[in-house]
Amino acid sequence: MPIKTWELDPNFKYEIMNEPGGEHLTACYQCSTCTLGCPITEIIPSYNPRKIIQMSLLGMRKEVLSNADLWICALCQTCTARCPQDVMICELMGAIRRIAEEEEAAGNIKIESARPLFEKAFLHTLQKYGRLYDMGLALEYYPNREGSKIKGMKAMMKDYKDFGMRMFKKGKMGPLGGGGVFKGMRPEKIKEREVLKKIFEKVEEKEK
Amino acid sequence: MSEKKIAYHPGCPSATTAMEQDMSTKAVFEKLGIELEELEDWNCCGALEAEDPKLVIALNARNLALAEKKRQDIVTPCSICYYNLARTDKALREDEKLRAELKEIDGSLDYKGTVKAKHILDVLVNDIGLAELSGKIAKKVNLKVAPYYGCYLGRPPETAFDDPDDPVLMDQLIELIGAENVPFSYMKTKCCGGPLMMTRADIAFEMARKILESAKKAGADCIALACPLCGMMLDAKQPDVEAAFKIEIDMPVIYITQLLGLALGIEPKKLGFNKNIIDTKKILEKVM
Repeated sequence: MPIKTWELDPNFKYEIMNEPGGEHLTACYQCSTCTLGCPITEIIPSYNPRKIIQMSLLGMRKEVLSNADLWICALCQTCTARCPQDVMICELMGAIRRIAEEEEAAGNIKIESARPLFEKAFLHTLQKYGRLYDMGLALEYYPNREGSKIKGMKAMMKDYKDFGMRMFKKGKMGPLGGGGVFKGMRPEKIKEREVLKKIFEKVEEKEK
Repeated sequence: MSEKKIAYHPGCPSATTAMEQDMSTKAVFEKLGIELEELEDWNCCGALEAEDPKLVIALNARNLALAEKKRQDIVTPCSICYYNLARTDKALREDEKLRAELKEIDGSLDYKGTVKAKHILDVLVNDIGLAELSGKIAKKVNLKVAPYYGCYLGRPPETAFDDPDDPVLMDQLIELIGAENVPFSYMKTKCCGGPLMMTRADIAFEMARKILESAKKAGADCIALACPLCGMMLDAKQPDVEAAFKIEIDMPVIYITQLLGLALGIEPKKLGFNKNIIDTKKILEKVM
């Protein structure tokens, strides 16, 4: 399908460059070093950060923001380290993902990935306790991903059945594990949780 | 190295999935006469799930400020905590306006930029140094080791303390303890897939499989690493990778501090060798 120039959004690149991490977008000269060294491209050949950058530069806003490939970047920083133009591709992809999340919240697109749900669940436990709490994270993430509590519990059991047993046997997690009766089953909480509340409030306020 | 006390930021997995890294880090530093003082009330660094840099900076300013209050550099065994602490330190040193904004959110985020954030591998090799370590080696660790660095020790350039493509710090430690580095440079810094584990396990398993099978092909007795997320992916999830591809790998995955601890003459139990998921018995039999 040829690009319809009248559908392009000439401001999209500036929108990205206004996000932290997106500042260097226009420095890209399409050499493809990012994509050639990408460990994800090696496995999923259609994954092409160079192309996502070019589409962004052209203003293909909707195509970029609804592209499911945005969410399979492993954040390994190989592209950022190798880019001769210091485009900071890893951070740039993060900037684009954040715009996509805003668009989804506004009801304009649908993100075809569970990753935003996972990140939200992670940050909720962090906000609440100050530390990562695997169990709480899983109890929020799986039901959201599967669309119902029952399906979520089933998926969680499937992932955790063997893995959890391994952790339990080594005393790393689970009731009566080596490091305390409910190791990993209950959240570790920091004392100054008030500060975290303030941090999250401030960051969310900026997003609005 | 002159400081005898360093602020220790264990990172969340230290309490659960990466217990053996935490145990061996503490044991090694104790043996070296350096006190790791756990930062009181430290918080999670946001890992890679906090995608908004403003959030990462606020979260880590608090940890840095806690260390600054004690006038101690801050050291962590996790390469992702390290990345977040180090990039926050860098951002705040360079940006007075940002510092003022954070102070406004809460006084406890007021970090002035007077301490350094470091990864334990950096402290061991570059601060304490190979010369001092070599004087304390009590035992030859006769193993073939695949040194696996993952992403955040040599990348991104703004926080890296080793080469992005062919890092050497772990190789040097492995040589120092009398072990042999197997040819592994093409896999050393390839991502383990950890960040995709919960959302695209299919891709993550494929990434882990490549690393594990390469180590096996190279004839390694074990993989050595320095990041709890890599540990989770390559060790704790290894049976899942084996099941997904119907293959047998059985490759022990050991934290570099565990190996160094053996060479320093620390007993295996204190180094958490009974905590690694893939059995370490064969490794210990070869060494002890």
